[in-house]
Amino acid sequence: MMNRRSLLLASLATPALSVSGFAADPIKIGMTQPLTGAVAASGNYVANGAKIATEVLNRAGGVLGRPLELILEDNKSNPREAVASVEKLVLRDRVPVLIGAWSSTFTLAIMPKLIEYKVPMVVETSSASRITTSGNPWVFRIAPTSEMEAVAFSALLSKFTPAMKKIDFLSVNNDFGRGAAEKFSAALAARGIAIGRTETMTPEATDLAAQLTALKQSDGDTVFVTTGVEQMTLALRQAVEQRLGKRIVTTGGSFPDQLLANPLPPGNDSFHILFYAPWFPERAPHPAIARTYTEEWNKKGWEFAGLTEGFRGYDAMLTVVEAIKLAGKPEAEAIREALWKVKIPGVNGDIAFAKEGPAGQESGQNRPNVSILRLSEGKTSLL
Amino acid sequence: MDQALQHLVNGTVLGGTYALLGIGLTLIFGVMRVVNFTHGELYAFGAYMTYAFVSLLGVNFFAALALATLCGVALGAALELVLLRRMRKADIDSVMLVMIGASLVLQNGEMWAWGGVAKLVPNPFNGSPLVIGPVSVLPLRLFVLAVSAALLLGFWLMLDRTRAGVAMRATFQDPETAALMGVRIGWVNTATFAIGSGLAAAAGALLGPVFMVSPTMGDLVGLKAFAIVILGGLGSLPGATLGGFALGFVEEYAGGYLSTEYRDAFGFLLIILVLALKPQGLVPAKERIG
Amino acid sequence: MTAPDGRSAEGRGELNRSRLHHYAPWVFVLVLALLPLAFPDPYMLAVLTSAGIFIIGAISLNLLLGYTGQLSLGHVAFFGLGAYTSALASLGFDIGIGFGLRITLQPQPVWLGFIAAIIVAGGFGWLLGRLAFRVRGAYFVIITICFAQVLRMVALNWIELTQGPMALISIPPFSMWLPGQGVVPLYSKAQNYWLVLAVAVLAFIVVRQLVESRIGRALVALRANESLARSVGIRVTHYLVIAAVISAGIAGAAGSLFAHYIRIIDPDVFLFIYTVTMVIMVITGGKGTLWGPVVGGLIFGLVPDLLRGHARPEAQWVLYGVAMILFVMFLPRGIVPALASLRRRA
Repeated sequence: MMNRRSLLLASLATPALSVSGFAADPIKIGMTQPLTGAVAASGNYVANGAKIATEVLNRAGGVLGRPLELILEDNKSNPREAVASVEKLVLRDRVPVLIGAWSSTFTLAIMPKLIEYKVPMVVETSSASRITTSGNPWVFRIAPTSEMEAVAFSALLSKFTPAMKKIDFLSVNNDFGRGAAEKFSAALAARGIAIGRTETMTPEATDLAAQLTALKQSDGDTVFVTTGVEQMTLALRQAVEQRLGKRIVTTGGSFPDQLLANPLPPGNDSFHILFYAPWFPERAPHPAIARTYTEEWNKKGWEFAGLTEGFRGYDAMLTVVEAIKLAGKPEAEAIREALWKVKIPGVNGDIAFAKEGPAGQESGQNRPNVSILRLSEGKTSLL
Repeated sequence: MDQALQHLVNGTVLGGTYALLGIGLTLIFGVMRVVNFTHGELYAFGAYMTYAFVSLLGVNFFAALALATLCGVALGAALELVLLRRMRKADIDSVMLVMIGASLVLQNGEMWAWGGVAKLVPNPFNGSPLVIGPVSVLPLRLFVLAVSAALLLGFWLMLDRTRAGVAMRATFQDPETAALMGVRIGWVNTATFAIGSGLAAAAGALLGPVFMVSPTMGDLVGLKAFAIVILGGLGSLPGATLGGFALGFVEEYAGGYLSTEYRDAFGFLLIILVLALKPQGLVPAKERIG
Repeated sequence: MTAPDGRSAEGRGELNRSRLHHYAPWVFVLVLALLPLAFPDPYMLAVLTSAGIFIIGAISLNLLLGYTGQLSLGHVAFFGLGAYTSALASLGFDIGIGFGLRITLQPQPVWLGFIAAIIVAGGFGWLLGRLAFRVRGAYFVIITICFAQVLRMVALNWIELTQGPMALISIPPFSMWLPGQGVVPLYSKAQNYWLVLAVAVLAFIVVRQLVESRIGRALVALRANESLARSVGIRVTHYLVIAAVISAGIAGAAGSLFAHYIRIIDPDVFLFIYTVTMVIMVITGGKGTLWGPVVGGLIFGLVPDLLRGHARPEAQWVLYGVAMILFVMFLPRGIVPALASLRRRA
């Protein structure tokens, strides 16, 4: 086991490996992401992560002596198109394995199709617990659920001074936001922290003054903000405007990168739960892999902040390819079996699946790592 | 009480920009009978142009605002000349569909050109709020409110004092008679659409730095602009101003005291209520201009 | 079907041609029905099924847009209402309605949900018809948009009933009694395809019967000249409301098919772009013609899926928008009337 791991590690860490001539047809891997529409920014980051993983793996000789081909489809930020994209990938391109689909709603829309077509999918982002507990044996999630994130966070509570006493929530009104408010409340209440109010916002809202003014009335000391990266940035900036005067912690792994170039005024530090902090690849669980990923990304000239989300696509690709290698053939059922045996290092940390959901039809769930980044006047540091 | 004052300030700031959005839309409808579905996209266009001038070309912030507005005027004129001019004889529904098509092209063209990642526009104002008693507000927001008011005032003066304004008002009231009196309707339409688009672009240029700039930023704003215009009465300029502030205050107070979840729904519920009770809007269209 | 040009020819040719016109639609349906047996390509069936659901929506929209001249840009409201009604009926629910009272519904068979979807959507069609026909033109358009928006907000926030943005999941597929097999759920591509085809044919026949009835003639008179129609005693509002109810009911049926085919419903089912899709299908094909929504629906239902992989995602949308502009500007009456006039000239 150790031998294979270090071999893969070495191959990932040295991107400039000689290319042997590929005689065989490429092995196809299907990916569905929101490339246009409301959440296109994150979808493109994740897709980019998968693209560079494909390049790195192909330079290292592909898998089973064959090159890899990533077939990327747009799910247009809506569930109907998510299903349509998967039908195209499975029925037309005949991919034996899928990666997708960013939002929980898109992933949930696809899940009945996985059973119908008997194709496994590695879920790289979605946070709703229902994805792995509803009894779908074709689902393997490497992203953390809100609950895992909350539990991992509560272990790091002691890093905050002064200590948290009472917390409030500002959450986007969907699975992601509501789930985070619920799970963080539970995990932190268990640590004796009082829970205040929860304010919600629609995903497209830009003016959050009403919510922030309401939160200001609470006597809590910390506000947890859960939403996409754009609204997160807006919330942080408008919190200054409304003189919120509380510590802000963001959840979900996104980072408000625009605040690096346009920092908030002094005295408005914020804290961000991240799954990969690209400023500090050396602090990642597997620095060599993290560095390869980061360097390849920067070589493309893509936005640096995209690294915080792009790793999801990168790790998902590593996972899928390892499963194909273990299966010994690019066939759906064999890959599903093999996914249970995957044990590899990724950018976020070790990837391996534990069983979740009703007995006999369990889904796979990985246990990812979290870190907390402090943003202070445009400077980042790890807690 | 402190909270109520803060909501008052927030509502005024929000309402001012809503009024700016509503005026452009209602002007175009009043003069041309065109429901402009590209309004939200012109808003986004103005914001992206500001970003391009400030962040990429290093133009002075205030000059960038003016340039972005002019770009909006130019794009509006182009849309009128290429699309709407050929459709003057077409029915109102066909024109709406062409405008929906144009908005799809604009929005996705923007995504193509700029990528999906939202941008922040740097601005020369101090990021710390101005604090007056219990109320705090960003200097940038006050600047936006002042410019909005100045634009609205300038727009009124233009309508009232200039020849172009007189021609527009004449077309507004009765296109056929205006044509008989020697008004060149074609150019009045081009000017109207260009000015209406310029106002939308100006709103985007002003609000882009307050919020963020993203390809889909026009979606909600376009819907809001419709709400404002319907509230005030389609084609009524005082109505659009009133509707803008009404929506701003309703959202702010309802969101602050009742439920933030339904914040955006209150606007639409208000419209259905207004239409059920007073179908011609708060300010009926007879009193539209001047 | 009605042959718009049947009268123009003479002699035996006319007889043959009108006979052809009489049978052509059935031949078309037969060809579509046999398609899964001749070409069992599951991807093609998936695309056709998905397009078919929207074609049913377009057929219903055509009744309002084509025959009464009212552009409803909130048509997706009825589609979404049908989808939610059908999904909730088949999943069951248990909600509080205040004063300590609760409404509980056990999960019902899917076909009951389908009927409920038609009734509920039709009921809202009546409401909107009463309310919106007080205002016309641009006001009507915008009120329909607002109506769909309000429903989306309700779906988003009435979490106890709709699960809000967490979506209704595990919606059962359609089930049907099949000879020799009893009641079975329709999982297979071909079965779903046939079901959608059958509902589409039914919707087509309902609209055709309505259009050719007294009501239909009254509607056409209305579209041509409302004040004249009013002066000869046609009860304008009455007929418009009937058309709105039937149109909404068919859209609700399409929504129900959508819910049990996609098997997840979230508030995005009320998205504006779905209405735009249906409108453009009707306009491209030819509003106010029976075959318009079918022809336009096949084009705009299939092309986006055929474009997949051949152009950048953003470029696909740009092409979609450009096609929309070109069709409306250069073929304003639609393909079907254009073909008909071409044939008349030939």
